[in-house]
Amino acid sequence: MTILKDLFYILVFPGALFAAVIGLLLAGIDRKVLARMQKRVGPPLRQPFYDFFKLMGKETIIPHAANKAAYLAAPVMSVASLMLMMLFIPIFGFSAFSGRADLIVLLYLITIPGVALIIGGSASGSPYAGIGISREMVTMMAYELPFIIVLLAVARKVGGSELCFSMQGIADWQAANGCALFHWALIPAAIAMLLVIPAEVGTQPFDVAEAETEICEGPLIEYSGAPLGLFKLATAIKMFVMTALFTALFLGGIRTGFVALDAVILVAICAVLTVLCMTLIHAVTARLKIEHLFKFYWTIVTGLALISLILVWLGL
Amino acid sequence: MMQHFPVLAVMVLFLGAFLVEIFGSKSRLTRNIIALAAASLSFVFIAALVKPVMIDGQIISYWMGNWTPVEGYAIGIGYEIDQLNLFFALLVVLTFLLSGIYSIRYMEKDRHLGHYYTLYLMLSGGVLGLVLTGDMFNMFVMVEIMTFAAVALTAFRNNGRGALEAAFKYLVIGSIGSSMTLTGIALLYMQCHTLSMAQISAMLAKGLSPTGIMALALIFIGFGVKSFIVPFHAPAADAYAAAPTSISMIFSGMVNKAGVYGMIRIVYTVFQAMDLEPMSLLLVFLGTITMFIGVTMALAQHDFKRLLAFHSISQIGYVITAVGLGTALGITGGLFHAMNHTLFKGLLFLCAGAVLYRTGTTDLDKLGGLSKKMPKTAICFLVGAFSISGLPPFNGFASKWMVYQATYSKAVETGNFAYALVTVIAVVVSVMTLASFIKVTQAVFFGQLPESCENVTEVPLSMRIPMWIMSALCIFGGVCYGFVNKYLLAPATEAAINVSRYIDVMMGDGYAASYGVVDMTVAPAGFSYWDPLVWLVLFIVVLLAFCIVIVTGRNTRGEVLEAKPELVDPKYDTFFSGEESMHSHVGGSDLFWGFRTDWKGYFDFMQGMHSGIVNDYAIWAVTATGCAALFMFLFIH
Repeated sequence: MTILKDLFYILVFPGALFAAVIGLLLAGIDRKVLARMQKRVGPPLRQPFYDFFKLMGKETIIPHAANKAAYLAAPVMSVASLMLMMLFIPIFGFSAFSGRADLIVLLYLITIPGVALIIGGSASGSPYAGIGISREMVTMMAYELPFIIVLLAVARKVGGSELCFSMQGIADWQAANGCALFHWALIPAAIAMLLVIPAEVGTQPFDVAEAETEICEGPLIEYSGAPLGLFKLATAIKMFVMTALFTALFLGGIRTGFVALDAVILVAICAVLTVLCMTLIHAVTARLKIEHLFKFYWTIVTGLALISLILVWLGL
Repeated sequence: MMQHFPVLAVMVLFLGAFLVEIFGSKSRLTRNIIALAAASLSFVFIAALVKPVMIDGQIISYWMGNWTPVEGYAIGIGYEIDQLNLFFALLVVLTFLLSGIYSIRYMEKDRHLGHYYTLYLMLSGGVLGLVLTGDMFNMFVMVEIMTFAAVALTAFRNNGRGALEAAFKYLVIGSIGSSMTLTGIALLYMQCHTLSMAQISAMLAKGLSPTGIMALALIFIGFGVKSFIVPFHAPAADAYAAAPTSISMIFSGMVNKAGVYGMIRIVYTVFQAMDLEPMSLLLVFLGTITMFIGVTMALAQHDFKRLLAFHSISQIGYVITAVGLGTALGITGGLFHAMNHTLFKGLLFLCAGAVLYRTGTTDLDKLGGLSKKMPKTAICFLVGAFSISGLPPFNGFASKWMVYQATYSKAVETGNFAYALVTVIAVVVSVMTLASFIKVTQAVFFGQLPESCENVTEVPLSMRIPMWIMSALCIFGGVCYGFVNKYLLAPATEAAINVSRYIDVMMGDGYAASYGVVDMTVAPAGFSYWDPLVWLVLFIVVLLAFCIVIVTGRNTRGEVLEAKPELVDPKYDTFFSGEESMHSHVGGSDLFWGFRTDWKGYFDFMQGMHSGIVNDYAIWAVTATGCAALFMFLFIH
């Protein structure tokens, strides 16, 4: 029975199916709202689903220069690790396996999709992909510093005089003491985290790695068919995972007690966050250069996160 | 019988060294048989000690020539094998055995192999003796044997550029370290009139006199030089790059572990200095700058082996930081990372050796696309690269996770913000490690194959076997880390903290208590929140689910079209803006442009500092020693 329950968790909710559907839905919302902001009609909400299924049915071409195994394994690893993350992020009170993972595990799991994209792009053998992976790696170095500082600030606030890296501990603390976002010392960290999300997902203006107008989607240039579909799916799920992580870290106090209702609230919050930190920024900015991106994250965003960390250490 | 095993393990290596020199200079077969037999025998002797020491918890003491202590004074040379020694001894024997197997084919084209194997066995014996001995002066002798064998091996391929220069730098800096160790030991002898580590430890328990502090500073720095922490790291890069790769693996797998062992033994056991907060700060400070400078220097390299050398420095920084925390979790994490570093860095050096063996170069700008020609090496390399970058579920993840946890919990416990910054730096260093291995992956194994590498083939089986063993251990350490912790790390951690037991076994029961050394028992470091086995099962389930989706999706319409050599169709070429495709490879030096421009000032500064002039490095070493001694005098009371 436990096995069946675990399988349900892994395959349906909150694992594979739930993550994929909501991820694609968020991608649809992103595209639709972006179009409305640009005074276009925009595609229907279910367009990402159409795109995904169409790509799954297309032929997959493996170029001469590619290493077949790494080229095909990379997208699968990317999606698998993201779905795994969904199992470890508590949905308010409910968590499938969150007792088994903590912030550091999540920090490393979230790097796997990036690494998979890099390995896949690198394995395709294209020089455009070479430039793309270089930029992807620099982007990763850029946002990882503020990201870890945000996590440590939350951990310190929640743990008090003890060490608390547990996701479940963070959720419980917020249930007792109110959402972390409403503790003013953590507000700069929350803003920093909101800025980390678009870089992690790779939306404009932080999409230097895939810049289609200059390096033709970088690491994805040689991909076609099902692997490309999986990478697109991974990007969509990443939107959901990152916004859900934000919710778990900063808005974990809202809970109704019903899992289904909690899940709906989570999706609603994620949709709002997606529009706020991805669509809105996307609509009003142009792509950065890679060195500007790096400088932005290591100065402004890191500065915000550090302010929070120091405030929290001062006991505020 | 069993108490003879440690000394036999050291003796067979030295005996083997002489036999190789006498009988092995002519016949290749004799030479290989003697060297491998000595290495395997030594391995067996040490492995036989695992059950009694690690599992049953015995501590083995052995007095040479049966010169046992008289009236509480130790005069003879003693070997003492507790769990900490044995932990490092296991790393040492594993490393030199695998290196020996690898050398058979790797070194076949070199001349004067008799000398090579002699020096190889001397180096192995020196390091093994160093980690097993319980006598300060014997330790120094072994340090010297180790250093000189290492210097000679660095210069072994002296037809190439830079080998002699590297050896000279190693010699100068290494000698500075050795002479500091010797001076420190002389000071200790002056104060305690004995050289047995157990007895000195008991006598110093009451507190350190100024002489004692000076001795601590000198011996500590002496071993710091041997483990190449910053600012003594400069000769390491040259030496690791110039030495034959089988020896580079020994350098990073055991020679700098010997230095780490020396530091742990000196600081924890002999001087019992870890209750002192300043000592902890010093170690963590040195560890943090070591990991940071090591990794940033590695990012700037474009030679495969030099890059690995700087990563060795950086990873030792993690070990020193974790060990320096002085908490049970810190020591466990540090020891675990030391072990993992031996495994994954050994593996990576072997991969670099394989590339060098087949292509003749390790320049990242001249290689590319080798994963098609050497697929097995590429897989091993990826395992090593993911391990060192700390991606789950490999072993580096488990130990780094412990390091972060240990540093941050120390920060929370002591309320010291500096330790929190150490956690941040450790994570950033980990990302940079990933970056530089992405660079190697792209520059060597993926991307496009240059014409000069068209005829490259996979390396022979005897070179692949050590790589497979190392890869398997890397995955095992990450997945079954509860097992590793129970049988290796927890006993070793307890041995590092429980000094009175170490003293009593050597000097007789009650000796420690008579000098006021308290019996310390530690609660084993607790790990919650993470269960890698369950995690792995989850991962596999998700992966399977996906494969099913893909396979079923495939049957409907899509198909995989793989490029065959006979298919001449432009759709299998890489996209080249509509032009005809040609060879164009994004090499090592082309990567991470944005990062390098933003940090240009820093990189220029570091390049200026690493001038390659040995005088500068010697000045760094002496200055750093002075600073460390001053620090200890000011803050340790």
